[in-house]
Amino acid sequence: MTGPGLPTDANTALEITSIGKSFGSVHALIDVSMSFRSGLVTALLGENGAGKSTLIRICSGELQPSSGEVIISGVPTIISGPLAATGLGIAVVHQEPQLVSEMTVAENIFLARLSACSGASMHRRSRLVTDAQKLLGGFGLASDLPDLDRKCASLSAAERQLVEIARALAVNPRVLFLDEPNSSLTRRETDRLFAIVRRLRDQGTAVVLVSHRLGEVYEIADRVVVMRDGRKVGEGTVEELPKQKAIRSMAGERLSAAEVIPDSGAPATPSVDTSATPVLSVRGAAGLAFRNVDLDIRAGEIVGMAGLVGSGRTEIIRAIIGADPLLAGKIRLRGKPVRFTSPRKALRGGVAFISEERRTSIFYGHDICFNLTSNVLERFGRFGFFSSRQRTEFAQESADGIGVKAQSVAAPIRSLSGGNQQKVLLARALASNPSLVILDEPTRGVDVRTKADMYHLIRNLAHVQGLAVWFVSSELDEILQLADRIVVVREGRIADNLERGPQAARVVASALGETVEDAAVTSLVSNLSLPDGTLPEEPQPGSHPQKRTVR
Amino acid sequence: MTFSSLRRLPLFRGQEAGLVAVIFGLSVAFSFFNPNFLSTDNLRNVLVAVAVVGIMSIGQTFVIIAREIDLSVGSVMGLSGLCGAYAMSQGLNPILGICLAIAVGAAAGLVNGLIVVYGRVNSFIATLGMLSVARGLTQVISGGLPIMVDPSVMFIGQGALFDVPVQVLIFVGLVIVGQIVLKRSVLGQRIIAVGDNDEAARLSGIPLNATRVAVFVFSGVLAAVAGMVYTAQVSVAEAQAGTGLELDVIAAVVIGGASLSGGRGSILGAMLGAYLLGALRNAFILLELSPFLQQMSVGLVIVLAALFDQFRQGAFRHAGIAQILPGLLRLRTK
Repeated sequence: MTGPGLPTDANTALEITSIGKSFGSVHALIDVSMSFRSGLVTALLGENGAGKSTLIRICSGELQPSSGEVIISGVPTIISGPLAATGLGIAVVHQEPQLVSEMTVAENIFLARLSACSGASMHRRSRLVTDAQKLLGGFGLASDLPDLDRKCASLSAAERQLVEIARALAVNPRVLFLDEPNSSLTRRETDRLFAIVRRLRDQGTAVVLVSHRLGEVYEIADRVVVMRDGRKVGEGTVEELPKQKAIRSMAGERLSAAEVIPDSGAPATPSVDTSATPVLSVRGAAGLAFRNVDLDIRAGEIVGMAGLVGSGRTEIIRAIIGADPLLAGKIRLRGKPVRFTSPRKALRGGVAFISEERRTSIFYGHDICFNLTSNVLERFGRFGFFSSRQRTEFAQESADGIGVKAQSVAAPIRSLSGGNQQKVLLARALASNPSLVILDEPTRGVDVRTKADMYHLIRNLAHVQGLAVWFVSSELDEILQLADRIVVVREGRIADNLERGPQAARVVASALGETVEDAAVTSLVSNLSLPDGTLPEEPQPGSHPQKRTVR
Repeated sequence: MTFSSLRRLPLFRGQEAGLVAVIFGLSVAFSFFNPNFLSTDNLRNVLVAVAVVGIMSIGQTFVIIAREIDLSVGSVMGLSGLCGAYAMSQGLNPILGICLAIAVGAAAGLVNGLIVVYGRVNSFIATLGMLSVARGLTQVISGGLPIMVDPSVMFIGQGALFDVPVQVLIFVGLVIVGQIVLKRSVLGQRIIAVGDNDEAARLSGIPLNATRVAVFVFSGVLAAVAGMVYTAQVSVAEAQAGTGLELDVIAAVVIGGASLSGGRGSILGAMLGAYLLGALRNAFILLELSPFLQQMSVGLVIVLAALFDQFRQGAFRHAGIAQILPGLLRLRTK
């Protein structure tokens, strides 16, 4: 089950065969087989929603596969839970450190001991501290976490990540999964992390690394596995599968998603009246994670906000719509000064928002109709009561209008795929007749077809209906395909504000952690939605320049 | 028939239908032992007996759907009933006296709501505090002495219209109003949304704070109505009225199919839950069984109702009981 040139051998630490995993009607993994060898660093690449996290969660016992087997050292094994995985020498470093904030650093590092020994045994804090010192000292990390008796609640993001890593090291892992371990680390901290990874590899650990920063991945990986839409689409050594090739197979079909987008008369080029008062104008906004943010969004315009996770993009939005405190700055809505103190006030002012996490947007216990109409019920009646018939009709109409695939609006929202749930959320946002729609990661975990639908819908909103659209994305080609204007956020500040074009493509690529010089990135960019086909590059099989319609 | 196909029977679709079946089945069974059980008179006795708890369970259902809890209902019931009786004994117009009682209940609910929402105190703690404070206040006002009720309001708890006791009419009327508010009003849907996913409710522009405060005010108002009904029923307001009733109220709501994790519940279900509890107590008296057995059976019913609800939700598929139970049954048949 290994890639070409790498026959299965005794060195295989963990192998999965024909793993499938479905959540309801959503297939997160489809017939995935791969193996991780001792003493090698395998990079697991793929875009958001490709199935990498699900794969890790299966290998670490958090989830059970719907089909297929996990084979550890040649023995098919059912990993019943995270504790069992720890016992088998499988450790995971999560992107978001999973720490008990009321416990100390040392206690968190050895949290697994709490479950491994009997509840009656003594909890000896001093022993934990000496053990932790030994462990950290062994990896040259002692100076990074000097006070092991500190509560984790007071640690910085990087320190928390370090504790998470130390916890994985504490179980002496045979297989170590690193799920975007460096998204909150600086370059220097990342280098230190990689030094640890190399040491583990040389000691014979199988390391599996997930990261979106390809430049860094290729510094350390020995092998590369590429996933897309729940399937394995490529595998090989770093020589066999260089960065350019990997990017192409990661994006795969989605490159031609540009072609999937139906041309139904929505002008791809906006007709923005730059002299008109902006729908939203932000000056000098500051919040807990950002400063000095200036921004104008005009009617009929799609503004794309690019930046890494943690750069402050989501925080800017949340503060402006009043979900989080806004510490300073002036906001004008159609020229009128406003200050939203709650998302409800923003909605009333005509600003609708869809959060990046469906978990915090959907009423899971209810049907499509309830989810779609939850904030516009007043409209279907009077004196605080509403007509259930009018409500259902409205929901049916707008679900049809936006192309939600479901038998009826009485279907439970749980039964829909992620993409269709996202469409329901968009319909909910539009139900309030907003003049500005803010979308945080509008197509996270959404399949190609729905993605194309969403792009079309969003274009239509801005370019035909004249709404102002502001979206955030960490996907390069989404920003380049969809945005009329691109705002780059870095470390809580607006780093760039560009019209779409080849120049923008390079800047955004670099902001998203891709190397500027990288030929593959520029070629990918040129194949997407850049006007006039700049940046000539070898033609790629299976992808074509986007068709453009100009009215 | 497999275990999972049971779940698809119409009977199992709503907790209400299941409750009606259970109540009916028990009533028929009890009537074999004592034919009086199914008499109209006894039916009326049960309804009269559950009216007070039932009225409070309407408010509690709203609170529990919003994923909060109100432990203070028994005390607030005592306090507002006593305040109404006291004001009337001081010469206040009986109608104003009733209004005052309801205002006291609303005020207590408002305080609960404000502390929970703006003080960010867990509702279990906030209303536990109110439970004690309201009871203490009741004792301060009454001085520990019972207060006679103005005869003109006694019809609320003792009168009858067309042979139906007035408190039963109030109870059933409020259930109907409550069910309509829950299912057909904007506020009712907001309460469900807030209980299902409060962050989603907030981000989609639902007034989170106002909705949460509203459920506590509802609960307080309904506790006050229950307080007036009870006071009128026993003709006297005393400081200990309603002690411990909060647990019966919560039990009725849970038996009625509300989920303590919020977002789900039914006023009709709560009414049936209250009726089931009352019918059980009544049956144990008519069948002359030990009151200790009665207490045990009430406890069993509460837990069984919650288990049944989990089964309906399909939770056992994950818990593994659905796999284990058929195996056990097969063992027995072998």
